[in-house]
Amino acid sequence: MSILVSIIFIPIIGALILFFVPNWKTQLIKNIALNVSCLNFLMSLLLWIYFDHSTAKFQFSQTIYSESLSFTIAIDGISLFFIILTTFLVPVCILVGWKTISNYVKEYCIAFLILETLMIAVFCMLDLLLFYVFFESVLIPMFIIIGVWGSRERKIRAAYQFFIYTLFGSIIMLLGILIIYLQTGTTDYQILYTTEFSEKRQIIIWATFFASFAVKVPMIPVHIWLPEAHVEAPTAGSVILAGILLKLGTYGFLRFSIPLFPYASMYFTPLLYTMSIIAIIYTSFTTIRQVDLKKIIAYSSVAHMNIVIIGLFSMNSIGIEGSIMLMLSHGIVSPALFLCVGVLYDRYKTRLCRYYGGCVHTMPIFCILFCLFTMANIALPLTANFVGELLVFQGVFCNNTLVAFLSATSMICSGGYSLLAYGRVAYGSCKPYYIRSFSDLSRREFFMFIPFVVVTLWLGVTPQCFLDAMHCSVANILNI
Amino acid sequence: MVQPFPDDFKPVLETDFQIFLFENHFKTVFPEIFCLFASVLLLIYGVLYARIHQANADTLRRKMKIFPPIMVNHVSLLVILAFLLTLILMFNNPIMHATIFYNTLVCDDLIFFCKILIICSALLSVCISLDYVRKQALNAFEYIILLLLATCSMLFLISSADMISMYLAIELQSLCFYVLAAFKRNSEFSTEAGLKYFVLGAFSSGVLLFGCSLIYGFTGITNFSELTKIFSCTGENQHFTGALIGMIFVAVGFLFKITAVPFHTWAPDVYEGSPTSVTAFFAITPKIAILGLFVRLFESSFYDLNTEAAFSLQLGTTQGVSTTFNKLLSMEFTSTLPWQKIFLFCSIASMIVGALGAMNQKKIKRLLAYSSIGHVGYFLIGLCCGTVEGIQALLINLIIYLVMTINIFAIILSPVRRDFVHSVQRIKYISDLSVLFKTNPILAITLAVNFFSMAGLPPLAGFWGKYYLLFSAFSCELYLVAIVGGLATVLSCVYYIRLVHISYFEKIQNRLIFERVPKINGWILAITFFFILFLFVSPGATRRSTSITRSLLQRIEIRDHITDRHA
Repeated sequence: MSILVSIIFIPIIGALILFFVPNWKTQLIKNIALNVSCLNFLMSLLLWIYFDHSTAKFQFSQTIYSESLSFTIAIDGISLFFIILTTFLVPVCILVGWKTISNYVKEYCIAFLILETLMIAVFCMLDLLLFYVFFESVLIPMFIIIGVWGSRERKIRAAYQFFIYTLFGSIIMLLGILIIYLQTGTTDYQILYTTEFSEKRQIIIWATFFASFAVKVPMIPVHIWLPEAHVEAPTAGSVILAGILLKLGTYGFLRFSIPLFPYASMYFTPLLYTMSIIAIIYTSFTTIRQVDLKKIIAYSSVAHMNIVIIGLFSMNSIGIEGSIMLMLSHGIVSPALFLCVGVLYDRYKTRLCRYYGGCVHTMPIFCILFCLFTMANIALPLTANFVGELLVFQGVFCNNTLVAFLSATSMICSGGYSLLAYGRVAYGSCKPYYIRSFSDLSRREFFMFIPFVVVTLWLGVTPQCFLDAMHCSVANILNI
Repeated sequence: MVQPFPDDFKPVLETDFQIFLFENHFKTVFPEIFCLFASVLLLIYGVLYARIHQANADTLRRKMKIFPPIMVNHVSLLVILAFLLTLILMFNNPIMHATIFYNTLVCDDLIFFCKILIICSALLSVCISLDYVRKQALNAFEYIILLLLATCSMLFLISSADMISMYLAIELQSLCFYVLAAFKRNSEFSTEAGLKYFVLGAFSSGVLLFGCSLIYGFTGITNFSELTKIFSCTGENQHFTGALIGMIFVAVGFLFKITAVPFHTWAPDVYEGSPTSVTAFFAITPKIAILGLFVRLFESSFYDLNTEAAFSLQLGTTQGVSTTFNKLLSMEFTSTLPWQKIFLFCSIASMIVGALGAMNQKKIKRLLAYSSIGHVGYFLIGLCCGTVEGIQALLINLIIYLVMTINIFAIILSPVRRDFVHSVQRIKYISDLSVLFKTNPILAITLAVNFFSMAGLPPLAGFWGKYYLLFSAFSCELYLVAIVGGLATVLSCVYYIRLVHISYFEKIQNRLIFERVPKINGWILAITFFFILFLFVSPGATRRSTSITRSLLQRIEIRDHITDRHA
């Protein structure tokens, strides 16, 4: 059995095992879930080890033929890292709920393991319809995660918004898929890749796909669900949302919209540039005003993801590789920041800035880590985001200098809001309310953060080993 | 015309004995005959033995203060047996394709498929309501026999090939239904439901009969296949205006019975009022029968009944509508056949009304009534495509709908104890679901998966049904209905996930305790749950099973051939 198939099935098997463990053995349940997800992470590293950098072909491919359903699962240099990112984040999600999740522990673990399988399946599916199926089915566990383990009463509203917004976009995408299927008679990606669509049809289908992906990214008019969902979700839910689910939209653009409909992509590029720049500037300014720590990170995610969009539609390999790097680094840094907020929330049960202050006196280790990730969020050199943003700006500069200039304002703005948030939490006078109940990071939390620190610096210092793997695939997407 | 035996069939008796004139005809309808006889015999059995049991019951009641149900158990089990035997007989029927009794009944693959579906749905709905009937003190064995009789009449309905036999069958079915709806005699809701159903049902039957007589008056024909021939052979300037009106009346009569908007108003009341076991039966079985009949009536008999002058809905001329939408509308409504227009309108209206109406319901049965109205809208998409893919999608949807509805009713029919109420109750309000996740997580996950499936979320079964439907709508250029279908999915999602939200996220509002789910309900729940969850492993399975629409394809080809020859 190929590695890829086992990566898909290991979490499901884990969930099945958990299903038969009695409810009250919570420690055993957590251990099993953690071990299974760690095992899956190691397996996914094997993918990288055996990955052939020198070809744009889909690797580890496994085709399933049956009379009713035949599809291929395979990865290329683009989806490789998203799969590793997924398997990297899921153990963290289980670890972060180790102490805080006290009810429905079994359901929590099962939900995350199933979510892992679905997300990996999205990234390695080479069939448009099944991509859609898994893209959508991620909603179900996520809806339940937000609704059951969310923190406040408002979580219901957030879960609803998340669900309805995404579903609305996706149904329109389904209509687009049906149009494709009517023309070609297949939804196999590799066949579609060689198919020519007429220009008018490209525009229609592209627009339907855009409706779905834009909600997921999220682009500006439909980004309302994101801050809500982030704020109300449990920490682990935020980690998955920021780390993986936002990437589904940009991954969809990269995998389907750009290579399948090149004409329409060119046609819509000005629209996307405009929307993204509005989003970047608008959300950056919105972020500065926020008082909820999670909302700050959520809005900054919107800004970063829109930089990713600009990079993707710069239509050259530098920009696209930059946006993949930015997706990866955002997938590391943003979850890490959510973990930081989660750590604070676990101790003080509030996320509002004004209750915090002077944490650097009481929680020095935490503040060092928080500072590191804040700097990474600003895209300081030697951190992960810097590489991605630099490449994106460079790529888009070849294309449109004005857009490059305007999108680069995000670096300044992100400096503004990130430092502001960090300063409010870490510096200033110690707030007297909770001074008796402080504690620095526990050992579990510390070990939870270490991988993030390592990966953030690794991505920032030697990005070449990531970029090497994706050169061929990106060139293939651009038909160079 | 009776087809000869298939090749592998050898007659058992080879002596020279007189062949009875209608022998093969009787063989063809043997399962139905068995079903009919079983219902009559069971009735006799019940009537004879009820007295004896009555006497026993009286003594029990007097001496031991026990109130035993009378005869219901026996007869229910016997009815289940009868259903199973009918299924077996049907599968082993030597004659699968025939037109019998002077073109009154017909038998082919499509009809066979629908019959199997009908019997399965009736069987399952009896199985899941065994416990309900026992505990709810519906102390009358007639209930279950009426179900059997109604099923039997639906078998006849679906295989009828003539207006007269069709009308007779649907009347028998409706009569059974009126009684069933009003069966809980000590509940005013049930009586009200029965009365409403009776008045409106009788009205719709009248409309139906009027339509049939108009068609007969203008064409002189009551037979479906003859109608096909006469309509397909008309020239350009020959218009059957009277027959067209007749067809509209027939369609309206039937749309009443399957609760399509705008003829749906009785449905929520009747669904709510009738005993829950009957609601489960109402929600599925008649829809299968009538949609199966629709396929034959409209896809073949009235297919070519086309008069542009008499009846064309020019909706596209409304001012103030943007031009693209205008074009879409006019394309949708002018390029289609008259019968398609009716169903297009009903389909769109049903989907929207079903979704909007269910949003603010507080009782679960009313909500399910609206949800089934919405589903009928989706079925009608498949019907108004007028293509083989459409019919296939319709049949796939019927299977999936059957499974999902049985699943949800198996949960609703499982017993519950309510605070301050002595007797065993059932889930009644949707706020009752709030205890589900806390007390019975397995039921909760089943329910959630089912609702997600009904909402059409991938990868669950409901999605595949909708996918095939939308695909067939797209392939015959019914873009408007496909888009509305897609958007109605989002709308309906709002109330389906509201149910999930109530069962998962809300604090307990009503203090209920779930009793043990009856064993047979448990098994059925398990099977249907796995079907819903794992259909995506092989979504084509349903597609293969409905490949019997090929036979219909042949019929359409024959019709086209006739049309070509005469054109």
